[in-house]
Amino acid sequence: MHWQATPVAPRSPSEAVLFELDDVSYTYPDGKEALRGVSLSVFEGEKIALVGQNGSGKTTLAKVLCGLISPSRGRVMFDGRAVGKDALSDLRRRVGILFQDPDDHLFCNRLADDVAFGPLNDGASSEQASAIVAEMLDLVGLGAHAAKAPHHLSYGQRKRAALAAILARRPSVLILDEPTANLDSKNTEMLLDVLHRFSGTLLCISHDLMFLYGLCRRAVVLHRGAVHHDTDFEALIAHRPSLRDHGLDFTFRFLCCSGHHGVPAHGDPDPEGFSRRGQERFHHESPASKPLSHALHSFAHPREKPVSDSMEARTGPPLIALEDYSYRYPDGTWGLRGVSLHMKDGERIALLGENGAGKSTLASILVGIRTGRGVYRFRGEIVRGRVSKELWRFVGIVFQDSMDQMVSSSCFDEVAFGLKHLGFTGSRLSRRVHEALARVGLDGMAERVPHHLSAGERKRLSLAAVLAMEPRVLILDEPTANLDPENEERLLGILDDLSTTLILISHDICFVSALTDRTVVLHRGCVVQDLPTAQFLMDDRLQSLYGLDVTYHNRCCRQILSMHGA
Amino acid sequence: MSVTVVPWWAAAVAVTAATAAVASLWLLGGSGKRGKGDAEVSSDPDADTSVPELDVVGSGSSFFHRWDPRCKILSLVFFSFMAVSLNHGFELGVGLAVAAGSLAVAGTPLRAAARRLSAMSGFLLILLVIMPLTVPFHEGDRRIVLEGVPFLSFNARGFVLAGRICAKAVIVAVLMEPLLKTAPFSVTMAAVQRLGVPVLLCQMILLMYRYVFVFRHEMQRMWVGMTVRGFRSRSGWQTLGHLGCFLGMLFVRSMERTQRVYEAMLCRGYTGVFPSTVRFCATPRDWAWSALWVGAALGLFALDRWQGAVARLLGF
Amino acid sequence: MHLSDGVLPTVVAVGSFAASGLCVAVSIKKTDGEELPKIAVMTSAFFVASLIHVPLGPTSVHLLLPGLVGILTGWSAFLSIFLGLVLQSFLFQFGGLTALGANGLMMGLPAWFAAWLFRRIGARGATGAVVVAAVASAAAVALAALILAALLATGGEDFFGVAKIAVAAHVPVLVVEGVISAFVVSFLLKVKPELLQHPAGRPSP
Repeated sequence: MHWQATPVAPRSPSEAVLFELDDVSYTYPDGKEALRGVSLSVFEGEKIALVGQNGSGKTTLAKVLCGLISPSRGRVMFDGRAVGKDALSDLRRRVGILFQDPDDHLFCNRLADDVAFGPLNDGASSEQASAIVAEMLDLVGLGAHAAKAPHHLSYGQRKRAALAAILARRPSVLILDEPTANLDSKNTEMLLDVLHRFSGTLLCISHDLMFLYGLCRRAVVLHRGAVHHDTDFEALIAHRPSLRDHGLDFTFRFLCCSGHHGVPAHGDPDPEGFSRRGQERFHHESPASKPLSHALHSFAHPREKPVSDSMEARTGPPLIALEDYSYRYPDGTWGLRGVSLHMKDGERIALLGENGAGKSTLASILVGIRTGRGVYRFRGEIVRGRVSKELWRFVGIVFQDSMDQMVSSSCFDEVAFGLKHLGFTGSRLSRRVHEALARVGLDGMAERVPHHLSAGERKRLSLAAVLAMEPRVLILDEPTANLDPENEERLLGILDDLSTTLILISHDICFVSALTDRTVVLHRGCVVQDLPTAQFLMDDRLQSLYGLDVTYHNRCCRQILSMHGA
Repeated sequence: MSVTVVPWWAAAVAVTAATAAVASLWLLGGSGKRGKGDAEVSSDPDADTSVPELDVVGSGSSFFHRWDPRCKILSLVFFSFMAVSLNHGFELGVGLAVAAGSLAVAGTPLRAAARRLSAMSGFLLILLVIMPLTVPFHEGDRRIVLEGVPFLSFNARGFVLAGRICAKAVIVAVLMEPLLKTAPFSVTMAAVQRLGVPVLLCQMILLMYRYVFVFRHEMQRMWVGMTVRGFRSRSGWQTLGHLGCFLGMLFVRSMERTQRVYEAMLCRGYTGVFPSTVRFCATPRDWAWSALWVGAALGLFALDRWQGAVARLLGF
Repeated sequence: MHLSDGVLPTVVAVGSFAASGLCVAVSIKKTDGEELPKIAVMTSAFFVASLIHVPLGPTSVHLLLPGLVGILTGWSAFLSIFLGLVLQSFLFQFGGLTALGANGLMMGLPAWFAAWLFRRIGARGATGAVVVAAVASAAAVALAALILAALLATGGEDFFGVAKIAVAAHVPVLVVEGVISAFVVSFLLKVKPELLQHPAGRPSP
């Protein structure tokens, strides 16, 4: 294990201590020990990043800090006073917490009611509450939607609405649990904007180190329920071994997107060295996972094949041919307009676009879930009627939320689900299932319950369930949503090895560059760009158009690279 | 006991007319996509017309929209109870006219009313067929026999009974539209609470209503997740097994969500009661209209019960 | 099967409202105050689940789930069922407004019965629990059919024929519900057994 980082220098006494945790431990009723002897001081006005692997106790710590649970051992002091079981409601009054799923926070039938819920509970009059509602909704850009029901809003809008509802009580401490999970870049920017204007104490749990980079000064790293690091955020980022050991090493991204940040690929010019490090990591990992050294090796040599070569290599009629395809939602808005797309067998394309551009709609049309107007040919046959009903055998899709594809009580059954419908039985079925599980690094877990798996394992399981069916075309809808860097890297390794035709829908530029040859950009239902990926990556201007906005992301990459490389 | 023999073509006409009526209701209501049993591959996930919303629809300024919700609910519910107590054709006809008139005045979309009617149509049709066949024959009952089918005899009184039930069901179903679709649901529930229903129940209904949409979306996504891997809902053991797991997963996810929602409520200061800012302010006009409705309902009921006496009084 | 308006004599309808009201009050009393919002959200899930049509031969059957609701919520089951019926009536016109009380009795009492049966037999072992769940669910549907018949019969001898047919119509439903409950309970035992041990309300005796 690497050496412990040096602790932060003690602050001057004039800065008020807001939270003082003294040897706090917490064990869940089912026996799981979530926190072990955590001692922490939080000063007023600090912006802290709370990071660590899944299961390290971050959410439990957040719940202790916001007054939802009382520690089994140890003492919590808030604002100089000890927090006992009966003082929890006072703590909740001053501390606001935003959970990952905004639907958990929006439980009234109108946005205005949700935002007013907090102030009204605190004793505000209805006029005061209305004023607060107007102010908060304007702050998050939802002023026009005050009378709308939450289920009429998009995910990003609901996230902002939940934030408004929490800020309505004017908390002095704000805790955020994975605020950017599933959020596109535009909403992330809006969220960052609001957070920058928050003047109180901020505690942010996230895997997205880019997001935290602009926001937090201090980083607290939890490992197995104890504080492992308590240091400056920049110091943490700069120290790669500690990032790696906590599953937060996101530097693999810089290797796979060589040079597109305008900085020569400092990355790792030494492929052998990288493989060795990859093998070192392997020893830390569970025996069930596949050695990554082979996969990592290919990163040292990012896709350098000239684009024209790979295109010419594929001959024959297109596998997928969409001609002037349009789709209209029941409420009248256009999902897709005159989209034409051709894909050859073996091609790997990325589908980019802001939220609402029509990427998921296009994916669902390709799978056959939706039908619009226009011609869709798959393997030369027009897709309708009988062909449409059988399309699922050839086109597989992995959804953004892996929970939506978990309907079985064991991993074996989950992977066998599709195979059984294809007609596999007995030993053939068993063999295919085990092969698929092994391919994604889940061999030996056939009898585990999918619901009990971690997020990364579930994602790999849903991928296995689709890969087992050996589809001609594989569509991945935001495969990196909700994954921590370690699992992202693993997923990248698995996907890189595939040889199926691939359609990747992602906001993640690094995945796009590592996995695809061609990029198609959608904007408001139309295809606005269709060009080789390498060309797209070189063009900074293109990347900021159409709401893609990866410039902030690139800027962070550059800054961090310079921190590492120099 | 008199016997009527109905020629087969008359019966055919009647059956066709009934089928056409039900079919048109079904089509008008667009209720083909309700529930997730139709697992066609192209079951459009956007056709989310399945869960109607109990919110303000229509012009927004009809009489019902402007009526004080408490008065409105009191009057319409009272009228409904009176309507289901009526027995004679004339009074039921008046009831139907009142219901239809209210629907027209409220201006709510006909499609929703058609859906309500088509939802009941199955049950009511069964009654219309079964009752004439099973109602015991009394003195003075007319027996109806189909030409050529002597062993099946229908009791005319059965048709009358079933018809009566249909009329009552239609009156109340149609009245539900002006009742529920002319105010936001939270306002409707607040009114119900002011009328005496325990506040806890009303709040639970509102909370439940909100999460119906969330779970509906989750279920839809999960269903599509199964469909793209080849699942088709067919009779058989395998389907039942998959459905069992599907439901189990739905319950597990919802149980976890209930815990999170509760924690979120606590963190926003929930003390056991949802705060409400709905204020009611009934004008004397509102109460006058209520009195009119209640009076009309009582009058209709009285007429129904003492029809004979009233007729004699009026010299008929 | 939900009763529509107008089937029952008004006296019976109003009386059922009173009886249902009483049962709802008992249900609320037996539920921890803090569990009430959870019951509401859980009932949403039951409501959405009941929208699924299960194929049965040439037609499809619409699940009622009184058995499962009872097993999963214990004493709070009547409340949960009643709320579900209210929304089913308001949203879909499954069951008439004036028949809510009667429908509540028809579905809520079997839910309590299933809860009681499940706890009472208290099976040890996974297969045992699954079998008991299936039996409890089927019994709940049978009880619902009987209550429906009794309610219909209050309309006089004219309704006896309909009552008998209604009971017969529940037989296939009974089988399907029993089977589905078995699968659901077997799933829950593997994935989240706590749901069956500690129902959201207090467990029934």
